[in-house]
Order: sequence, then C-alpha cells, then structure tokens
Amino acid sequence: MSVIDDLASEFARLPGIGRKTAYRLTHHLLKSPPEEAGRLAGAIVTMAERVKRCAICGSLGETDPCEFCLSGVRDRTTICVVEEASDIAAIEGSGSFRGLYHVLGGCLSPLDGIGPEELKIDALLARLDDGVGEVILATNPSVEGEATATYLHKVLASRGMSVTRLARGLPVGGDLEYADGVTIAQALAGRRDM
Amino acid sequence: MFLARISLRNFRNFENEVIELPQEGAALIGANGQGKTNLLEAIYYLEIFRSFRGARDDQLVNFGAEYFRVEAHVACVDDGEGGEAVEVAAGYVRDGRRKKVTINGGEAARMAEGIGRIGAIIFTASDVEMVAGGPGARRRFLDIALSLVEPSYLADLQRYRQILTQRNELLRERGDASSLAAWNDGLVAVGSRIMQARARWISDARPRFSRHCEAISGGEEAAMEYAPSVSMINGEQADGSKLTREEWESAFREQLDRLRERERRRGVTVVGPHRDDLRLGLLGRRDQLSLRAFGSAGQQRTAAIALRMVEAETWRESRGRRPIVMLDDVFAELDPQRATRMFEMLSSQEWGQVIVTSPKPDDYALMGGRLSEYRIERGRVNRI
Ligand SMILES: [Zn+2]
Repeated sequence: MSVIDDLASEFARLPGIGRKTAYRLTHHLLKSPPEEAGRLAGAIVTMAERVKRCAICGSLGETDPCEFCLSGVRDRTTICVVEEASDIAAIEGSGSFRGLYHVLGGCLSPLDGIGPEELKIDALLARLDDGVGEVILATNPSVEGEATATYLHKVLASRGMSVTRLARGLPVGGDLEYADGVTIAQALAGRRDM
Repeated sequence: MFLARISLRNFRNFENEVIELPQEGAALIGANGQGKTNLLEAIYYLEIFRSFRGARDDQLVNFGAEYFRVEAHVACVDDGEGGEAVEVAAGYVRDGRRKKVTINGGEAARMAEGIGRIGAIIFTASDVEMVAGGPGARRRFLDIALSLVEPSYLADLQRYRQILTQRNELLRERGDASSLAAWNDGLVAVGSRIMQARARWISDARPRFSRHCEAISGGEEAAMEYAPSVSMINGEQADGSKLTREEWESAFREQLDRLRERERRRGVTVVGPHRDDLRLGLLGRRDQLSLRAFGSAGQQRTAAIALRMVEAETWRESRGRRPIVMLDDVFAELDPQRATRMFEMLSSQEWGQVIVTSPKPDDYALMGGRLSEYRIERGRVNRI
C-alpha cells in the first residue's frame, strides 16, 4: 500500500465516506499547497489532544468539567437529556435553552446490545440531588429514542422528578442533530409532561 | 389518468423497451416465459417499489446487467376526475444495493412519498394464495390495500416492525421487565393504530366482498371478518370497527400483561397485529366454513378475485378516480361459467385503463375488442 492508499483508507473509515470519495479527498489534498494538508493534520491532532469529555455531563469541550457545568449563569434546575454530545450543538443553536445537559451516549437498542447499563443513566440519577426540578428528554423521535424516553420517564418519575418530552414537530425518524434551530426552539417551547 | 408510456431498462428479460399504451388499455399476448408478467411486475413496481411476486430487487436485474431502471408516464385525460400527470421512476444498482425513486424528476426522500402514484390494482393467478395460504398472505393484502388509501398506515407499519424486532431481541436475550416495559408503550400505541385501521377497512369491505363472491360464483355466499390477535373485550362490537383507539390500546396492553409469562418462555412477542388474520368463509346453511380449509379451487379463486375487486373499489373511493386495472392471465384459471361472469363484471365496471395478459388473443383478453393487441416475445413488445 502506498502512502496515498494509507490516507484514503483512513478517510474511508469515516462515516458517510465511501472508497471513491476517500480517493477524491486524498487527491484534492495532493493538488493543494502543502500548507493546506499541514493545517488539516494540525487541526486533527489539536482536536484529539485538547477535546475532553466532561466527567459530569458527558459533553465534549476543552475543559473538564465543561463550560456548561462550570457556568455561573446557566439554569441549574433544568437538565436536558440527549443521546449524543453532537446533539448539544443543535439545541444550543436554537438559542432557546439555558439549562444544563446530560449525554446518554446512545439509546436503548437490544439489536445493538445496548441496554440501560450501557447508557449513562446512573450518572444522570447522581446529578438529581442538586436542586434539579425538571428533566427534559430530548432523545430522537426514532423508535429507539422513544423507548429510551419511556424508560427514563419511569425511572425519573419514581423519584418525584418533573419529566417533559420535546413536542412532536421534529421530522419523524429525523435526528435532532439535523433539525434546524427554529424547529428545535418550537419543540422545546411545546414540551409536555410525560 | 392512464399509463401512457412505460420504459424498461434491464428489468428481468427486458433489455431496453419503451411501450406506449392507449387510454382504453392493452392486451399483452404471448406464450409463457416471454415476459408478460414481468411487464406487469415492472408497472406495479412503480406503485409499491417492490416486486408483487415477492422477488428481491437484485433478482429483477437482467442477467449480466449492473442495474435496472423503470420509468412511467401517467397522463391526464379530461374525464372530470382531476388528477395530475406524473412521471414515476425507480432504479436499482447491484453495487451497494442502491435504490432510487423519483417523482417528476425529484428524488423521493421516503418510499411512502412515492407509493401509490400510478394508481394500479393487479389481479394475478397467484392471488389464490391469499385465500388458500397462511395468514401472512392475507396480512400482506391488507397492508398493501391500506397503504394505498391511508397515508399514515405505511409509516405506522414500518415503525411497528422496528419496535417488534427490538422487543423480540430483548425477549430472546431475556431482558428484565423494566427494559421490556420501555418498548410496550410504542408497541401498543402504533399497534393500536394499525388494528383500528384494519378493523374499519374490513368492516367497510365485508358487504362488498360477499356481493362480488356471489356475482362471480353465481349465488354462493361468502363472508369476511377481522380476526385480530388482540381479542376484543366488548362482545357486542364483534368486528371491532367501532372500538376507539383507547379501547384497542387497553385491550392490547391487558393481553401483553396477561401473556407475559408465555412470551418470556417463547422469547418472542406472541400478541399483536403481526399475528392478525382476515377470516374468509363460505356461508353454509347453519354455519360458516373456512374457505381456506374447505373451499374448492374455484371457490378460492372466486374469493381471491373478490378481494382484489374490493381493493379496487376502496381505492377508487378514496382517490375519487378509477384505478388502472391489470389482469394477469386470470381467466385461464376459472371454469367457463365463472370466467364469463367475471368477464361481464369486469366489462360493466367503471374501470379506467385495463391491461390484460393472455397466451391467446381471445375475446376475454381483448375485452370484446375494446383493447389494443400487443405481442410479447423474448422481452420485445410490438403493437399489432
Ligand atoms: Zn459538563
């Protein structure tokens, strides 16, 4: 394997990139000035070194605890539960949520061997003592996301927590990650008690 | 609305054919194995985006080819029914098993968006399986008929199957009760929508089914009824069509609870619309005899045709226009009396375009001269 093949096969491991696209990206870099490849490589290395997972909420940022958990201005009585750290950017982008987050690290899916123990549910329960009044379940509207919300609702309600679910309006089967800010803002505003 | 043109590229034994069809319809004449049914399969593929014969997409690609593509132009006529001309196309590539559906040139984001655009109903000799075969064939019939008239039905069905697969996996690996309960809400909510839709459709279809059976058989009465796996609590409402969503939900939930032990033992969800049946029977002097178990071949064929007639009628009523009707060599399977009555019924119906296949250009196939004749030979089609 040549060094060109090496890079292409690294690209091909990324989600959504097939063999053809991997070679197109590689050849694009080959044709570009060497600084461009250097910048890309540098950005990848820096990201890998600096980005940490927050030990409290599971979000990704440059500090641990993260900027949300450390913030003095965010509403500490509300926690928004999401499947993946990448969902946070979408909700932040809507500009209509000022509380804290909690990343589950996936959703219930027996076919993928993911049960409650595989998700960060104990860590969520451990956070509920500090004056948290409402938990918003912002898992995806997929069947797995809905089952996860049902499961969490039962666990949280038994602890006297007020539990809400994002209003419908998100495209069915569409991930939170890809919904636009206005849609998410509406879903948040219309959230309902479960 | 009628199918004005169909183009096939590497579909089964058609390499590259473009066929123009007149508004009244066509009789496709050819010996067996020349491609008559393949052509109907291609047309109907653009209605439901899969083979009505249950073939996988890769089996539809011409031997040695890499892909197939089918395109249809449905034209509008000034018949007061409205509707819009539409181009429906579907393609499949072996490499990566990619399937693409386009409506008027734009890619459909989801299959449900493109389904039912041709507006065709197909009668085939293998329809008899719906009567003589297991409940799966009857559920498939219900599901297609309902998907074509109720926009949300297909989405519910797909969602139900996903939940069921996940839940069965959990049962198989002996998951705990609280994990299982997380899947019950979705199963019950979506499953109840499906059962309610089926119950209503069947209740509406029941008198039509008996009428058609009687007409084709020349007086034999037949009946259909919904046999849901979730048994109904209220005995008075025998067919379930008056049950509210909430009543279906509580019946489903109650039976999931009651059968908890059995499903744990068997490792599979034992109750729900995936186990439904559509009961078809002959009305005897005292009781009802199952058509599946006791019907003669002729009675079973009659019932299968009656089911398709019902499908065509409900389709017409929900869309407000006449469907395109395709008859795949159905007269050959019937005895002469039934064939004559069937022919009279079909000729008197307010159908739209009719497309018939037959080995011989007889009076039935040509609908008494109403249809234009086409010859099919080894994947080539020529108008006579
Ligand atoms: Zn944090």
